[in-house]
Amino acid sequence: MGLLYGLIAVGLALIFGLMDVVNFAHGEFLMIAMYATFFLFAFFALDPLLAAPLVAAALFIFGAVVYLLIVRFAVRAKANTGMVQIFSTFGLAVLMRGVAQYFFTPDYRSIPHSYLGGKTISIAGIYLPQPQLVGALIAIAAFAGLYFFIHRTDFGRALEATREDAGAVALVGIDKNKVFALGWGLGAALVGLAGAVMAIFFYVFPDVGASFATIAYVTVALGGFGSVFGAFAGGIVVGLVEAMTTLILPPSLKTVGIYGVYLLIVFIRPRGLFGSI
Amino acid sequence: MTITRRNVLLGATAAAALGPIAARAQTSEVKIGVIYPFSGASAQIGVDAQRAFETAAEIINGKYDYDLPLARTEGLPGLGGAKIKLVFADHQADPQKGRAETERLITQEKVAAVIGSYQSAVAVTASQICERYQIPYLSADNSSPSLHRRGLKYYFRAAPHDEMFSQAMFDFFDAMKKKGTKIETLALFHEDTIFGTDSSNAQLKLAQERGYKIVADIKYRANSPSLSAEVQQLKAANADVLMPSSYTTDGILLVKTMAELGYKPNAIVAQDAGFSEKALYDAVGDKLEGVISRGSFSLDLAAKRPMVGKINDMFKAKSGKDFNDYSSRQFMGLIVMADAINRAKSTDGEKIRDALAATDMPGDQTIMPWKRVKFDENGQNNDADPVLLQYVGGKFVTIFPTQAAVAEASWPMK
Amino acid sequence: MDKAFIQRRRRDLIVAACLALLATQVPRYVTDVYIQNMMIMTLMYAALSQSWNILSGYCGQISLGHALYFGLGAYVTAILYTKFGMLPWFGMCAGGLLSAVIAMALGYPCFRLGGHYFVIATIVIAEIALVLFQNWEWAGAALGITIPLSKQDSWLTLQFAKDKLPYFYFALALACVAWFVTWWLEDSKWGYWWRAVKDNPVAAESLGVVVFNSKMGAAAVSAFLVAVGGGFYAMYVTYIDPESVMGFQFSLLMALPAVLGGIGTLWGPMLGAVILIPLTELTRSYIGGSGRGVDLIVYGGLIIAISLARPQGLVSLFSRKRKPAAQPVREAVAS
Repeated sequence: MGLLYGLIAVGLALIFGLMDVVNFAHGEFLMIAMYATFFLFAFFALDPLLAAPLVAAALFIFGAVVYLLIVRFAVRAKANTGMVQIFSTFGLAVLMRGVAQYFFTPDYRSIPHSYLGGKTISIAGIYLPQPQLVGALIAIAAFAGLYFFIHRTDFGRALEATREDAGAVALVGIDKNKVFALGWGLGAALVGLAGAVMAIFFYVFPDVGASFATIAYVTVALGGFGSVFGAFAGGIVVGLVEAMTTLILPPSLKTVGIYGVYLLIVFIRPRGLFGSI
Repeated sequence: MTITRRNVLLGATAAAALGPIAARAQTSEVKIGVIYPFSGASAQIGVDAQRAFETAAEIINGKYDYDLPLARTEGLPGLGGAKIKLVFADHQADPQKGRAETERLITQEKVAAVIGSYQSAVAVTASQICERYQIPYLSADNSSPSLHRRGLKYYFRAAPHDEMFSQAMFDFFDAMKKKGTKIETLALFHEDTIFGTDSSNAQLKLAQERGYKIVADIKYRANSPSLSAEVQQLKAANADVLMPSSYTTDGILLVKTMAELGYKPNAIVAQDAGFSEKALYDAVGDKLEGVISRGSFSLDLAAKRPMVGKINDMFKAKSGKDFNDYSSRQFMGLIVMADAINRAKSTDGEKIRDALAATDMPGDQTIMPWKRVKFDENGQNNDADPVLLQYVGGKFVTIFPTQAAVAEASWPMK
Repeated sequence: MDKAFIQRRRRDLIVAACLALLATQVPRYVTDVYIQNMMIMTLMYAALSQSWNILSGYCGQISLGHALYFGLGAYVTAILYTKFGMLPWFGMCAGGLLSAVIAMALGYPCFRLGGHYFVIATIVIAEIALVLFQNWEWAGAALGITIPLSKQDSWLTLQFAKDKLPYFYFALALACVAWFVTWWLEDSKWGYWWRAVKDNPVAAESLGVVVFNSKMGAAAVSAFLVAVGGGFYAMYVTYIDPESVMGFQFSLLMALPAVLGGIGTLWGPMLGAVILIPLTELTRSYIGGSGRGVDLIVYGGLIIAISLARPQGLVSLFSRKRKPAAQPVREAVAS
């Protein structure tokens, strides 16, 4: 489960952490991805695993469009950039929920039969549900890919440079908007992957994002902003803490454990585990 | 024949007296406020409820040959055939908004009565406002037992509450035990809002009284992103019966997680809510063959009372779903309220209240398996007998109590 | 001290006094209880947002966990009233003081956190409190606390059956107090430090300790006022449960008017609340019954539009000539 939190968080880590833009509509991106997966399944009987690349591609476009239509202006705001980001993306979240409710109705949906759904592997009495296992593998692959991407490609370097100093970058002939739009697209595509995996074992409805969003923020911050590896580690920590708190505390208090560990870590290390900013 | 002056006068007075009534019969309507969540996590409940209330209003306002109060007449004969008009309001599951919307319904829309509300927390504030304005509030589907114990004069509930439901479950266990089934240990699994808390409190108390051992009492956070740790604990406890009190979202996740972690309980006896929703069975019905849920409605009643089937068809045409535990109670809520307004012959809050208090509707004039509708001094109908239903082959059959049962319970579940 | 500044402050005070006087007369002409309820909510949110603005706007410590203090105020008031029979006036003060103390205790470690880390810490702390209250049997847990209907109206117990005017005046008074405290702080030592810090990060270094203390003070004042608002809410709605007074949504709703109206300004939160709250109420009441989420679409769209079109808040529409009350928060979140 920890790796799944990691998978949800990785897209956020890119947007939130690397580009330093707050996205309060992250949970809603996830919701859209889950709906997309669901409808691909319902109309074309496409298994979520096969649908994943398609969903990721669709979310890539969606993310880029959101950046160009909304976030671009929020980042450019002369005053209160932080607040404008928080609230314009919050507005977007509300808007997306409304639109989802309008078109998809508020009914709960879920994919009843998929290739992986409900299958488990049992190793020495420990049950590993296959969807989660595949999700974990995808998460590791996504993190590795993103890590490579950021640190080894021109685009990754351009992204980081743009965040640090947009003015200087412009002098070298890099268009900030283009770089960030691609970054947003990529972040959203990763959320798309997460959504496709989630749809296998979770239900979908317009407000589904809310359950995951806070955990995703905590995961990213726990690992530290600006660090892909941090988000990965954060996901694992969150998963472990969740499993362990239920051993000592009643399950209804398990979020307290996760949040408590976050506070503990940032009080000791104000930049998270591996944060650079 | 001579027309005396007196006769003319008499006729004139009669016409004057009748005039307004006749005029009112043409145009007048009685507004009833319906307050439900139409946005947010439980919006679907509100949307389904709207269809259920509309179905009931259609039957009241039109002419139908059902043995149901007000079905055979058009509108409310007691008010010169006035039609029922529903005014819907959205409370977004927020007690403050529920309060504000109820007040708006009463003061702006001038509703004669209010029906609500799915979330028990909203029912608390909405019914308090109604009390202040002396307008009757009827809980169609709130099942929290604390609601009718607040000493409110204008609060009514025709349907059973959680303690009555839980009682039925334990009666059922006792009956099964007599037949030789081994039921000793129970595992409670409930969400942490008002519904889960009330339900588990009732179950804990009953288990103690009747000598069942609770081997796990797990409270979880509603709308949790993951329930795997919780399910591990349930699995470790491995009780004879698992008793979940969950809304739809958590119910789906619970069943999926159980399948993933390879936990197959002997039997599941659910406190309704999510376990009577079509969405849940669409999602995970194949894993739930043999699950038992309490309910206050069962479609197999249609065999005994054909009108149940016909009314269900009307509802299905609107909503694409069969009546379930919620929509049937909502439907009956409006029927009971309209019946009282009709007998009150007035839209005055106090008169309607008195008429509600005097309600005595035989069970076979409802679409429910209830004995009758008759309120006690707290406004609770104690004759609303709950039933237990088992999910077999894609639909629900009544298995308890014996007089309503159409099939034997299959135990353990498949 | 420049003269224009003193002049502006005097004018602000006069305008505020006139507006407050005008507001007391409004109920004479508005008798509809639904509208009255809307006005009470507007004033309450104005007061809350103004209080939030002290810490988050002026001081630049963006908190999205103020629901914690609101909930504490509501709970302390309700518990003292229902379990110990203490008057809500006392409960509000007690809740306010408790919240102030807790705000300082939490501020101590949290103010060292920068930017996003601080924001998330505030969210998380409020969330923890929510879960704890949800599991705290003695405080009603998920069942919440119902304030029993009292037989007669009384200012002592703040219970009025149908009459909304007393609540209206209370909320108005609360908004005025919050405004006045802000006005007063603007010109205080703290106000100067905050502005200095925003203008010049180097000054922040040299002022380190003093500024830290002033932030603690701001947190305490802000939490106190919000908690009093919470106590008022409990007595007005007569029912509280953890989700409805401590939910994350509430923290956002508190911040939203200030952000839309103009964060870190004297008039922003007021203006924001006056526009936003009636808007949310009306969209819900008149287009929300459809079950199709149209109200959410309208509401969300408007928030995006306003926050993008007017990053300094709507109040900037009025102040073309005069300087903003305080320099806008220097990208506090994006540090």
